[in-house]
Amino acid sequence: MTFEFLLQILWTGVAVASYVVLFSMAFALILKVVKIWNFTQAGLMGASFYTIYICLNYFALPLLPAVVIGYGVTVCAALLFNRWVIETLRARNSSSLTFFILTLVISQFMIYFFALCFGTEPLSLSKNIMSGVHLVGGIVISNWDLQAVGLTTGVLLVLYVFLNQTNMGQFMSAVADNASLAKLYGIDVSRVYIYTFCIAAFLMTVGMYLFGLKVSMIPETPLQMMLFAVIATLLGGIGNIFGAALAAVLLSLIQALSIFVIPSKWQSLILYVFLFVTILFFPQGFSIAKLKSLLQFKRT
Amino acid sequence: MIHYKRRSVSSFLLSSLIAGAVSIPFAASAQSGDTLKFGLTMPLTGSQALYGTDQVKAAQWAVADINAKGGVNGKKLEMILIDTQADPQLGINATKRLSSVDKVPIILTSWSAVVKAVAPIVNREKVLALSVGANSPEIATLGDYVYTTFPLADVDVSGLSQYTYTTLGKKAAAVMYINNDSGVEGAGIYKSVFEKAGGKIVAFEAYDAKATDFTGALLKVKAANPEIIHIQGLITDLPQVIAQMRQLGITQRVSTYAAGYNPKVIEQLGAAAEGLIVTSLAPGVADNPNVAPFIARWQATEKRVPNGLPYTQYLYDSPYIVAELYRWLAKNKLPATGDNMRKALLAVKDFDLPLTGMLQVGADHRVKKPVYLLTVDKGAFVPMATIK
Repeated sequence: MTFEFLLQILWTGVAVASYVVLFSMAFALILKVVKIWNFTQAGLMGASFYTIYICLNYFALPLLPAVVIGYGVTVCAALLFNRWVIETLRARNSSSLTFFILTLVISQFMIYFFALCFGTEPLSLSKNIMSGVHLVGGIVISNWDLQAVGLTTGVLLVLYVFLNQTNMGQFMSAVADNASLAKLYGIDVSRVYIYTFCIAAFLMTVGMYLFGLKVSMIPETPLQMMLFAVIATLLGGIGNIFGAALAAVLLSLIQALSIFVIPSKWQSLILYVFLFVTILFFPQGFSIAKLKSLLQFKRT
Repeated sequence: MIHYKRRSVSSFLLSSLIAGAVSIPFAASAQSGDTLKFGLTMPLTGSQALYGTDQVKAAQWAVADINAKGGVNGKKLEMILIDTQADPQLGINATKRLSSVDKVPIILTSWSAVVKAVAPIVNREKVLALSVGANSPEIATLGDYVYTTFPLADVDVSGLSQYTYTTLGKKAAAVMYINNDSGVEGAGIYKSVFEKAGGKIVAFEAYDAKATDFTGALLKVKAANPEIIHIQGLITDLPQVIAQMRQLGITQRVSTYAAGYNPKVIEQLGAAAEGLIVTSLAPGVADNPNVAPFIARWQATEKRVPNGLPYTQYLYDSPYIVAELYRWLAKNKLPATGDNMRKALLAVKDFDLPLTGMLQVGADHRVKKPVYLLTVDKGAFVPMATIK
């Protein structure tokens, strides 16, 4: 294995992490503000993908309008979910377990619905999955890589500015801290939830657009990808959206670099190891302080 | 306590006698009335439905064609279809239902993991299971009531491996394979045959079935500098592997088995598919005059060619095998039980089938067929060689 190979794996790992970052941030954002483990996200991701697919392949729309319509459908589905499911359960003071089970059930229902409508044939947003490549210092950089990294970085920057510099961004932080107190201060909590779902839907749509250009998808694929999003959210710290993004990148790189020490068929196992370690030792998220205290505990 | 035990034992014996007396007539229920039943378990949903639904359609056409010509001695064939999603547990449920409820004496099934899972049930219930399309070599050793009508991996993969070394002259090969039953066994066969012929496997890399990025494994293959790369994957991952391979500048020729014989591969890869070698265990248009009308029928009804054409050919022919077995039973005046179906299979043993030609089922639970090699040339699959 040469240094060139190492750089190639690093670059490809970062590029492939792009859509995982977006899915993780969507999951982390809803968890932070709305305070639910939104496993319906898998169904919403599917809605986004298949809508874009229909627009491109059945209506022959150009790419941008197709993605915009995909976003529109995802937002509508997300807001309906918020209005008819979340608010209903919240009004009943339902337990976290009820939210968890119901979001999972809804997700699975949506997956079965997509399978009925579209079959289980692997589908890609582009008929041809090949992408033009450039050789930069011996490293292969594809056009998809550039688009993925560029788009994800842009979305991250815009989101950062929105959350930190706008009123709504600050309202979202306030509701995330204490929704009841935020309400007392005159913040329209319902409107904040709507914005949260709209932003999460946007992240999901961009992620599915990137994913669909590179890989073929079957209805169950988003549910499989949720594992990554959950682990990244836990590792990044519950409530830390950009922590989840960083964790997603690191997980993707660790998984890619593990090829140097373990056979390639075991690379997916890395995720489960991280999930186990995270839940057991870092349930509030990874931190150096927590790691130090664990090591001190081990010494004593 | 003893009195209770005696009562429960005698109740048990009485109910067993009644059940036995009642069940004997049901052994012949598969051929009572106007229909001759058989089961077909296939993935109609799930990740493998791409192939499964087309194969089912082929079998349905065959049943309709047989019945249109009068069926078997005036009785119609009836196919009972159950979805397995290519999942072993669902395959078990389907087989239990077919054997216990529908009481069919013969079941057609596929997908190696499913065939292996249902083998104990069919052996216990004495129902004949014909594996159609699954290629794990282990299928030949799954018991008295499991037979394959499709050549196992050690036929096409070993033929391809041998051809690669002796005819194509490649001395160093790399193997990439999906980490499941089909992938592991097929890759092992390719490696074993290639090395036995005198070649060297310079890289042997597995990848997870859910993986979407194959960079690490591909770079290992690139570093090994093979002369040819064999991929033992599925239609869901094969195009991604080849696409990423080409993008990383890996230009060596690629071979795969019958799973790659799918127009979707060419559609998704474009020029990157040129030179791809695939196998087919069914005769093509030039080898069998019935194949062209079959494809034309598909184009007329489905507006496309079938996914996995060779597999659909075998599934189309399978009801003809069932019909022959029922014909033998009727001729020998035997009831339609799994045991008698098995006797029929071994007695008839040679079948002249419409789309796949002559088939001989061996007592060793295997079949031997020629291997047809095709390659992608100018955006289409063209015949390359026939290995007898």
